[in-house]
Amino acid sequence: MTMLPKPQAGAKRLGLVVDLDTCVGCHACAVNCKEWNTGGQAGTLPDYDKYGPNPDGVWFNRIHSYETEADGCSRTVNVPRSCMHCEDALCVTVCPTGASYKRAEDGIVLIDTDICIGCKLCSWACPYGAREFDEEAGVMRKCTLCVDRIYDEKLPPNEREPACVATCPSRARHFGDLADPQSKVSRLVAERGGVDLLAELGFRPTNKYLPPRRATIPTEPPKATSSGGLGAALLNLLDKVLSR
Amino acid sequence: MRPNASVLLLTVSTGFGYGLLAWLGVDSALRLLPAAHMRTLVATGVALSLIFVSIGLVASGFHLGRKERAWRAFSQWRSSWLSREAVASVMTYPIAIAFGIMVWRHGDGVWARVVGAAALAGSIGTVYCTAMIYASLKPIRQWHNSHTVPDYLVFAAFSGALLFAVLRTALIGRPGAFASTAAIAAAALALVAKSAYWRHIDSQKPLATLAAAIGLPKGTEARPLDAPHFTENFVLREMGFAIARRHAAKLRLLVLAIGFVSPLAFSGLAGLGLAPMPTTTLALVSAALGLLMERWLFFAEATHVSALYYGRSI
Repeated sequence: MTMLPKPQAGAKRLGLVVDLDTCVGCHACAVNCKEWNTGGQAGTLPDYDKYGPNPDGVWFNRIHSYETEADGCSRTVNVPRSCMHCEDALCVTVCPTGASYKRAEDGIVLIDTDICIGCKLCSWACPYGAREFDEEAGVMRKCTLCVDRIYDEKLPPNEREPACVATCPSRARHFGDLADPQSKVSRLVAERGGVDLLAELGFRPTNKYLPPRRATIPTEPPKATSSGGLGAALLNLLDKVLSR
Repeated sequence: MRPNASVLLLTVSTGFGYGLLAWLGVDSALRLLPAAHMRTLVATGVALSLIFVSIGLVASGFHLGRKERAWRAFSQWRSSWLSREAVASVMTYPIAIAFGIMVWRHGDGVWARVVGAAALAGSIGTVYCTAMIYASLKPIRQWHNSHTVPDYLVFAAFSGALLFAVLRTALIGRPGAFASTAAIAAAALALVAKSAYWRHIDSQKPLATLAAAIGLPKGTEARPLDAPHFTENFVLREMGFAIARRHAAKLRLLVLAIGFVSPLAFSGLAGLGLAPMPTTTLALVSAALGLLMERWLFFAEATHVSALYYGRSI
């Protein structure tokens, strides 16, 4: 059913919070996403021309790096881009078959690949370019928020999080319930002033991005060298030489 | 946006088909058809229009990744304009066939006129749904605007009028004053509408900036440093397709000349009674080529917000 679900009282709104301050742009989240979603119950995520000159394939998470300026300094900002599990998900309502749907209980946007006809209209409707076409299966694919991990009771509780979050070496990715103002992710968003990407387009994305902090790190002014005889003078000289 | 041959053929061909069906409905309701030829005109006209519609619908199937599941597209009419288009097109078939058979059997009559009017409504409704598929896509400014729907309706009326003029000439020997006037007026209207559309999209601002796309404060300058991948992917192929402005300018002139001015001139000659069969046919062929080019540009000039992430201008 491609009508958006009616808001339910107490329903969860599961999503990701990405810290643009600490993301180092290592692509580990994208790689682990690919790894998890190409195996097991999820089936395969195809790659084409794997060893040829134009390798290509379906990925749910893409990491962009940008150069920008802030506080008079040049800065690199790494931006992981994946499905935002929007509240106003146009990709869901445009679907003619009911294959694209948003879950009422937790807000996750999914594709039923057993009924998708591969018309690609949902990919046109997504402003984030989050949906990619599976040329082998003839259907659209997208981030599932690792729905097959986060609810898997066979996994230890601390592993019931999306693959991208589990693997992030700089702890720049967080997963949780953004409908609950007391959740860890909601508090992070409140403390750090988390934002929506392309907010003015009005898709009301669930995922939030924490902006980079000030580029300058306040440092202590150098201490005046105390007058302390020959030893201190030698140390001072040594310091100057080594500082060159 | 990448122009896809099957989608171009779908929208252009159904435009001809529903346009012709709509004109048959109009002429029948207003009793503008010559009584002596009414039965053959409506029966062959309906058959011809359904052939054009069917060519378009079959072509659209080639766009699908899983053609055998196409029937599922009829289910989500409550939210999806693509589904509504599918439902409207299939509902128009029996109405059109009933219209053709009623007139063929009994000639003019109140019920024939009512069913003809229903076929007109079905035609307008289906073309409206087709246009809304594009007009409802918020990430594409060249489609999500107030020009898209009227343009599709005008182009369908235009192409249908030319097809109707050819049909009348083939069966009666001349297009007749009403069909000629309709073709000329529709060509002029289509020319004005397309020019206004181009003026509109040229004056639009981009929907968003790269700063907004990556969550940085307004006005921050950002430049792509490293892309996620070094070859094209689905998003870039499908949504990053863009045509150089200077090529677009040339193609726009060609569309105006071949698509609208030449059919207008040939329809005028046909209306004056000058070799009506060759002139109406030339008008039709010229318009078909022009409209295919126009639809190609409608895609090629459209930009998608997601291309921002790759540093492309939108």
